[in-house]
Amino acid sequence: MSTHTAHTDGAHHDAHDHGHHHETFISKYVFSMDHKMIAKQFLITGIIMGVIGMSMSLIFRLQLAYPDMKFPFLESIIGQWGKDGKLDPNFYLALITIHGTIMVFYVLTAGLSGTFSNLLIPLQVGARDMASPFMNMLSYWFFFLSSVVLLSSLFVDGGPASAGWTVYPPLSALPKAIPGSGTGMTLWLVAIILFIASSLLGGINYITTVLNMRTKGMKMTRLPLTIWAFLITAVLGLLSFPVLLGAGLLLIFDRSFGTSFYLNEIVAELAGGIERVGGSPVLYQHLFWFLGHPEVYIILLPALGITSEVIATNSRKPIFGYRAMIGSILAIAFLSFIVWGHHMFVTGMNPFLGSVFMLGTLIIAVPSAVKTFNYMATLWKGNLQLTPAMMFAIGLVSFFISGGLTGIYLGNAALDINLHDTYFVVAHFHLVMGSAAIFGMMSGIYHWYPKMFGRMLNNTLGYLHFWLTLISAYCVFFPMHFMGLAGVPRRYYANTAYDQFDVFVDMNQFVTIAAIVGGAAQILFLVNFFGSIYRGKRAPQNPWHSNTLEWTAPVEHLHGNWPGDIPYVYRWPYDYSKPGAELDYIPQNVPDPDQNDPLDEPKAVHFDLKNTTLPLVETKEA
Amino acid sequence: MKIVTSVLKSLVLVTALFSFSLTAAFAQSAEEGEKLYNANCTSCHAINEKVVGPALKNVHTKRKEAWLIKWIKNSQALIKSGDAEAAAVYKENNESVMTSFENLSDNEIKSVIAYIKKASEAPAQAAVVPTGTSTDVSVTATTTSEVSNTLKTSINWLIIIILVLLVMVIVLVLDILVKVGEIQGKKVINWNGINAKLMLAFGAIGIVASAWEIWEHGKLTVFNQTPASTHGAEYDNMFMITLIITGIVFFITQGLLFWYAYKYKHSSKRRALFYPDNHKIELIWTVIPAIVLTILVVRGLKTWTDMTGEKDPSSRVIEVYGFQFAWNARYAGEDNLLGKHDFRQIGVINALGVDTNDAKAQDDIITNELHLAVGEPVMLKFRAKDVIHSAYLPHFRVQMNVVPGLPTQFGFTPSLTTAEMRQQLNDPKFDYAILCNKICGSAHYRMKMKVVVHTKEEFKKWLAQQPRLVNKSTPAAQATAQVETSTETKAAN
Repeated sequence: MSTHTAHTDGAHHDAHDHGHHHETFISKYVFSMDHKMIAKQFLITGIIMGVIGMSMSLIFRLQLAYPDMKFPFLESIIGQWGKDGKLDPNFYLALITIHGTIMVFYVLTAGLSGTFSNLLIPLQVGARDMASPFMNMLSYWFFFLSSVVLLSSLFVDGGPASAGWTVYPPLSALPKAIPGSGTGMTLWLVAIILFIASSLLGGINYITTVLNMRTKGMKMTRLPLTIWAFLITAVLGLLSFPVLLGAGLLLIFDRSFGTSFYLNEIVAELAGGIERVGGSPVLYQHLFWFLGHPEVYIILLPALGITSEVIATNSRKPIFGYRAMIGSILAIAFLSFIVWGHHMFVTGMNPFLGSVFMLGTLIIAVPSAVKTFNYMATLWKGNLQLTPAMMFAIGLVSFFISGGLTGIYLGNAALDINLHDTYFVVAHFHLVMGSAAIFGMMSGIYHWYPKMFGRMLNNTLGYLHFWLTLISAYCVFFPMHFMGLAGVPRRYYANTAYDQFDVFVDMNQFVTIAAIVGGAAQILFLVNFFGSIYRGKRAPQNPWHSNTLEWTAPVEHLHGNWPGDIPYVYRWPYDYSKPGAELDYIPQNVPDPDQNDPLDEPKAVHFDLKNTTLPLVETKEA
Repeated sequence: MKIVTSVLKSLVLVTALFSFSLTAAFAQSAEEGEKLYNANCTSCHAINEKVVGPALKNVHTKRKEAWLIKWIKNSQALIKSGDAEAAAVYKENNESVMTSFENLSDNEIKSVIAYIKKASEAPAQAAVVPTGTSTDVSVTATTTSEVSNTLKTSINWLIIIILVLLVMVIVLVLDILVKVGEIQGKKVINWNGINAKLMLAFGAIGIVASAWEIWEHGKLTVFNQTPASTHGAEYDNMFMITLIITGIVFFITQGLLFWYAYKYKHSSKRRALFYPDNHKIELIWTVIPAIVLTILVVRGLKTWTDMTGEKDPSSRVIEVYGFQFAWNARYAGEDNLLGKHDFRQIGVINALGVDTNDAKAQDDIITNELHLAVGEPVMLKFRAKDVIHSAYLPHFRVQMNVVPGLPTQFGFTPSLTTAEMRQQLNDPKFDYAILCNKICGSAHYRMKMKVVVHTKEEFKKWLAQQPRLVNKSTPAAQATAQVETSTETKAAN
């Protein structure tokens, strides 16, 4: 993958000499310790994993829409699992498992947070690199190794892990229960442990860099919201991933060493010749969701951070309620640790405990609502540049509303009884976590592509990509709510065993066709992304007239980011359309005329709506 | 020794068969076989299609009957005994282990084979047709859905190809226009204006489309039906309140979002409003959601505690036992107390591992359909053999996970009989079902149990016809049996 970036960067190779040692191909593109290169490595690996994960979803969508049809081409792709063009039910479960794992961990955790935390943290706080570039490099290579192990599980006997991405034991612990719980499951666990190592190495670095390496004048209250989101995300990961590691290790013990942490009353015949008594399958669920719920925000917060930045820049307006935005990030992060039980309302957990988890869960809706209203207030009376990045950010807000509102049903323990594990859940999290986070990631890619590759993406392709993706995502996920409300369970290979679900045959076909259109739209993105690395227009230094520090660094990548001294920061990042200023933006490194010390606050502006002499927006247009 | 007995048994059977009229016996055994087939085989097999196991059509001609009996009773033992044919079958089916049915007698297996023979000879649809009125309702056999309309599908594909081509053409044309504009030094396409209009259009069409869908597809959901349990009314009430509140928020916020995206599109003639915060507004839109959510939380907690709280202690106790890939129900009998169970006793004869020495277990009744009486509170107690399953009864607004080694329960009162629900849905074939709703393996999607809700009288009649666990007679024969048992006990003493 690094060969893609080779030429672009090779072109500007001698544009600078910052006094660093001579770089070989390997040290520059493979075992790079430069945060910008590591960001690109994360992104491109994430995109490759994303393509694989999405293709898997198309295969099982075909099965769901046409359960009686034969697709001979399947046999040529997946061999014995698609004998005579019929998808094997076990492999269907393997596909949904690996699709979920790839999308949640590999694309939306590493691909999103890994890419943009790496790219933006040093550039936006004003640091020459991460606190530990070596650990940063290790973080990528653990991730890479983890991806390879996960993908290799597709080729082992019995197939990859098939117990759903949550891999609940006993199903995941007993190879006799499902073939995927053999070697495939072992590899899944190894992959996840490597992934956790990667995530922790990255997270420690992000936190240290943000806390210790900010440039002079970069107070915590002058950090762009992207950095706040990445910081809190890293803290969440640091506190929750070790618990998943513990859960995974105990599962390895149960699988390989005959222990019974998660197993109770399982006869010897089923469990590899050893009778298993005394454990609890529900213990695993508690441990898993203690990571699993914060994980949702590990995915979502970076996307929301990116959106804050993109919406403010392209509205040419300060983000509305900067401090409230930070406060709601903190509130969401705190609450995310005490609501994991809402995934377990119907496990037989004590109903009182259910009440507590329900209370916490519904409270999360308050900071989420604040964020949504703040985004809309930022758009209000703005001067919107509808770049592809901006449109993806607006799309995110739309998905965040749609998916967030259905969360109010599922967070309600009583309503969850009839909705748990149905297509309503599938619709909910694909909108609020899947589509919203993917749109955040896309928004970030379109916005910072010039920073990453020194070239511009093609806008025409970008607009088409946006519209096709937005429409198809809604067409895929919106109808699923109604299947869920009719009681269609998720993870069903076919609905043919139930006459009452026959009414959804047409809807399933519609959803699949929409999914194929959405998948095809991503080809536009891939063409644009990889094509523009070579053929894109050269990027100006600050293409979006943005305030943040990364745009003060030269287009050509330097080891150390700025050729001279690191710029000082004199203001917060959202001085857009500030009254009295000549341009509609004031970069963070620009002082007010009488501001000598970066730590002094620049002149405040009164923004009383009623008694103002400042130039307001003209509401009517010519 | 075993072989000798089985040979003897089959000899007895052969003579028995000869003594009856052959055709009559065949018809009868096929009918019995059908019941057994539906109860034991359909989760993994179908006649005409491969499911988890292979299609069973003409299996009676492909394999010898004796081999089939051995295979069905314990396929793993047959494979281990070095049978090449068995090993081949095992390998062909991705080495998934078939459940052993040592609880079925040779005769019963033969009757299943007789049914398969009958079904294989019948035209393809025969497997779908519901047959046999076992008690008072028809048993629906495995449902294979109808042959898809291939023409329609190929048109779908054609549409996709055309769409893809269309997109490519649009991209090319637009790109050329943009390049022409660059050369001429002015914008040919005002993308900002176009996208702003598209945002407005998307917002408007999206709102209309989602309203239409809520109206149209809402009719397909269970919330368009009267719930079949007493707590269902309160549940549906909670659901509707949530639907109305979230619906209002949905339409307002989405509407504003896309309206703003259109209205405040870029213009070089004006500047955006510098408006970084307003504590009053922020306070308002923190407090209002908090109040609305408080209402939802309070109401939700009430619904939740009503649904999960203390239950009528006189509820009828029924155990629902889940295993890959079917369910059993165990009724507590007259004493309303379930006998003890021990997972170590789960085996070939005693599939549920019930402790038959326990006095409370003597009158337990095991069935593979769940029968309930309308208006009579039940407490379902769940137990699993192998992995986590979830008993989901959407029409009753009931769901509870079924966890190995962790007893769970759910109490409710059915309020609509099967007959009433059929009338309401205008579907004479409708049946309630327990669906498995926790991923449990390859045939997860077929793991179901029929649920029948009777009137109280019908239920009593049905229950009386079911054999007791230890004393296999029905209560009708019970009176005489009771006397016999007591004399036996006395004699033993």
